[in-house]
Amino acid sequence: MMTIQKMEQKLQKADHKQAKLYLFCNFLSLMLISAYSAMMCSPTVLNILPGGGDSRKQMYAIFTLALFGCVVFTVYAASLFFRKKSRQLGILMALGASRKRLAPGLFREVLSLSFFSSFAGILAGFPFIWILWNLFRIFIIDSAEMKLILSLKCLLISVPFFLLVVAFACFTAFRYLQKTNILDVVQEEHKNEPVKSFGKWCGPVGIILLLFGAIAGYSGPMLYQTLFQAYSPAWINLLYAPVFIGLYLIMLHTVTHGWKSIKRNPYKNIISRSMMKFQGRQTVNNLLVTTVLIAGACFAVFYTPMLGTGSMIETNNRTYDYLFHYRADQDVMSREEIEAQAAEYGLTLTDWNSCDYLTLAMDGMERIEEEDGSFYFEYTELLQSGKFLSASAFADITGQSVNVAPGTYLAVSNTAETSLYVYLESTQLTNMSTRAKLPVKFAGLAHYDMLTDSVGYYILNDADYQTIAEGLTKDWMGEMFCFNADGTDSYPFATSLFHRFVDCFGPECELPHYYDPVIKAKCDENGEVYWGDTDDMTAIHFSKPDASDFRAYWTYMPKIRILDQNDFLRNFAVFLMIFIFIAIVCMSAALVISYTRCQTIALNNHYIFDDLKKLGASPDFLATEVKKQCRPIFQIPSLVGMTAMFLLYSMIMYANDGKFEFSEICGLGVCLSILLIIGVLIYLVYLRTIQTVKRNLGIL
Amino acid sequence: MLYVKDLYKSYEVGQKKYSVLKGISFQIAQGEFVAVMGPSGSGKSTLLNCISCYIPFEQGNISLGGMTLTNLTESELAEVRNKKLGFVFQDFMLLDGLTIRENILVPRIIQGNVSKDGEKLADQLISLFGIDHIRNKYPAEVSGGERQRTAVARSLINQPLMILADEPTGNLDSKSSRAVIEAFEDAQSKMDATIFMVTHDSYAASFCDRVILLKDGTIYKQLEKETTRSHFQDELLTAIKEMSGDEQ
Repeated sequence: MMTIQKMEQKLQKADHKQAKLYLFCNFLSLMLISAYSAMMCSPTVLNILPGGGDSRKQMYAIFTLALFGCVVFTVYAASLFFRKKSRQLGILMALGASRKRLAPGLFREVLSLSFFSSFAGILAGFPFIWILWNLFRIFIIDSAEMKLILSLKCLLISVPFFLLVVAFACFTAFRYLQKTNILDVVQEEHKNEPVKSFGKWCGPVGIILLLFGAIAGYSGPMLYQTLFQAYSPAWINLLYAPVFIGLYLIMLHTVTHGWKSIKRNPYKNIISRSMMKFQGRQTVNNLLVTTVLIAGACFAVFYTPMLGTGSMIETNNRTYDYLFHYRADQDVMSREEIEAQAAEYGLTLTDWNSCDYLTLAMDGMERIEEEDGSFYFEYTELLQSGKFLSASAFADITGQSVNVAPGTYLAVSNTAETSLYVYLESTQLTNMSTRAKLPVKFAGLAHYDMLTDSVGYYILNDADYQTIAEGLTKDWMGEMFCFNADGTDSYPFATSLFHRFVDCFGPECELPHYYDPVIKAKCDENGEVYWGDTDDMTAIHFSKPDASDFRAYWTYMPKIRILDQNDFLRNFAVFLMIFIFIAIVCMSAALVISYTRCQTIALNNHYIFDDLKKLGASPDFLATEVKKQCRPIFQIPSLVGMTAMFLLYSMIMYANDGKFEFSEICGLGVCLSILLIIGVLIYLVYLRTIQTVKRNLGIL
Repeated sequence: MLYVKDLYKSYEVGQKKYSVLKGISFQIAQGEFVAVMGPSGSGKSTLLNCISCYIPFEQGNISLGGMTLTNLTESELAEVRNKKLGFVFQDFMLLDGLTIRENILVPRIIQGNVSKDGEKLADQLISLFGIDHIRNKYPAEVSGGERQRTAVARSLINQPLMILADEPTGNLDSKSSRAVIEAFEDAQSKMDATIFMVTHDSYAASFCDRVILLKDGTIYKQLEKETTRSHFQDELLTAIKEMSGDEQ
């Protein structure tokens, strides 16, 4: 005997296609978010990306975008499912089924679908990230620190999302059951979603707002700091809001007006335009989400080429193959020992040069931060440390003769003057051992790419150098040597030499470059705890000289061309993996959303295509109409997302120092090539989508 | 059987309010076959939907079999729809995932008592409306006329007080339309069914005992069939012409 439960089961079986789509959307969203959060909370990643650092912030920012996209996607999937379901519900209501009668079956179905798809998505997220991560390790690069460790903390993100999906599904079911007008429920499936149209101004205004928001959002915090002498509060990020309003207007213009002029032939594309317009609300939302996701993917994928190209050019342009510097109290191997070791690898050393330098305290205006985020400047004699060479030592190393007047100093910059890690306003230098002072004045820049470090190099007049060096203990003095390898350099020699060099240091030098000995001394004198001695400081270890954070942050990290060239990928493997993974997540989500939207448009406009067929439209005409529906879904978000991100990156590069460095131009060129590849990928998915839509509409 | 008194219904579109039914009153007796005709926008479907309790109305009273259909709870309304009314829609409204026989049984399934008697009645209706050969097929596999006859059978499965039909021939060719009207006639003659039908089609309406002509939300005229069907159709056409002002 047929019961209502059996009937519902039979109807569910018959409607398995719409259930499958809903399951797929939930599963995919949860899988992507679960995988992303698993990666984001992984100790492997957290150890590599320093807390509060830009990379971690970027990872969080893109995660927010991806989460937003996936939330919108699941909400959309649920709405779609219920739109299809509403006819069945409406018929049963019309035939006298009360809400109480329908509710158990509906909630059972919705709960089971949303629960299992989301739960499976969360579970699948773990193997997904694990497989992807390890494929990367197998086929691209591997290092000991890339071993992926997962933490259950990630469930703090994916479980609330899972609950949101289930709760939203139940809420939507409840909302449908509460509808009093049964005819609305029955006709829900065929209901149009026209979007409120604005004039043709909305497209151009959208572009202006997009650009304005990007510039205002980027420069807002700096402007705030300058104007109010305080760190910008979190709400300053609202300055980015015009970006989203602009994006919305651009998408709205695309859907309601299109970008081609119709003045010459107003009837051209009239069918596709009207179809697009009457499904407009969801289409605009979808376009917005996919644009944001594609932009997020581009932002992540640009990270690698920008980092890699700059590093590659800098490494190739070095004038020495090897440059070492170290504290003078460390027992580092001698020139003879190095030459002997090189000989074992069939190498002879040429162009050997060496010199010493001083680590001195520079005075200046210190930024004192208040608890409320405001700050003020106060003069201090011990502002920061600087590495000072004598003019003759600089000439020995670089071959450049510089004139430094007594009582002045030069700061060393790279040739393009883009890497200015130097302080230009010091008026007094302090010998940290004797506390002798030397009044100085900034006299200009000298240029040498290899002497640009995060702790800046400066040049003093030889006499001044001798004066201030008097009585300076060896722990405040440094030495450096540099040389070239004659013939083809040897990676094994470089690795061995590097490891040997590290072994020469005592634990007092196991410090990252942002640990400033001058500030440490000042804190000790004032009885304060130096930030660098707290847990906030990312620790580096001599036991792991090949770890990427050691290579990136060690104070005395030598510059070894062949090592840096060969190990670039390995040193930045985790960074690269993270950002490539983010790009994959965002791009997959964007493509699946676009694909699903195209299928929905086809489904909703099925009757229009049927009518067109009856009116004698040829398969070619129908195929063209399908393309006109699907093309903007893929094309506009891709164009806007990719262009916006490329322009944003260009703006950031330019705003860093007011010019484009050669390496930045090359990096942007590589990014452009990557955009072309992404464009081809999107086009291939678009072609595949067209095929499926045509098949579903019965267009041969 | 059905009493409608001073029925008012309006729709709000944006800031504007459109009155669709402006004080409609009429009644239908047990076993009567009544049609409502009128131009588009005259309020035919709205009237039917108010009687069906699909949409709420603002003023007036509807009474079915002695029961007032105002201020009923959701459960009571559902019971009225299920037990006292049978529905036939223009687009059939069959459930695609169920066979023809199962679709006919849906109102019984909703009640939760598909007894042997219910199944027997379904089989009788299947025979009565000539859809025996498609009983195990799915709606997508049968013709429009067969689907509509299935819908008529479904509307009768709970032996309701009244069948409400909204443009039942609107999507059908003339042969299928005829078959559906015959199904209504059979229901009326063999099961003493009361039928209230909204239609545009004067041919379909001419099979009815009485036709209510609606114009701009009010009853323009009521015509009763006194002679032959063909003559009644002529009368209807004349009245419709008159209503649209063509005679002047």
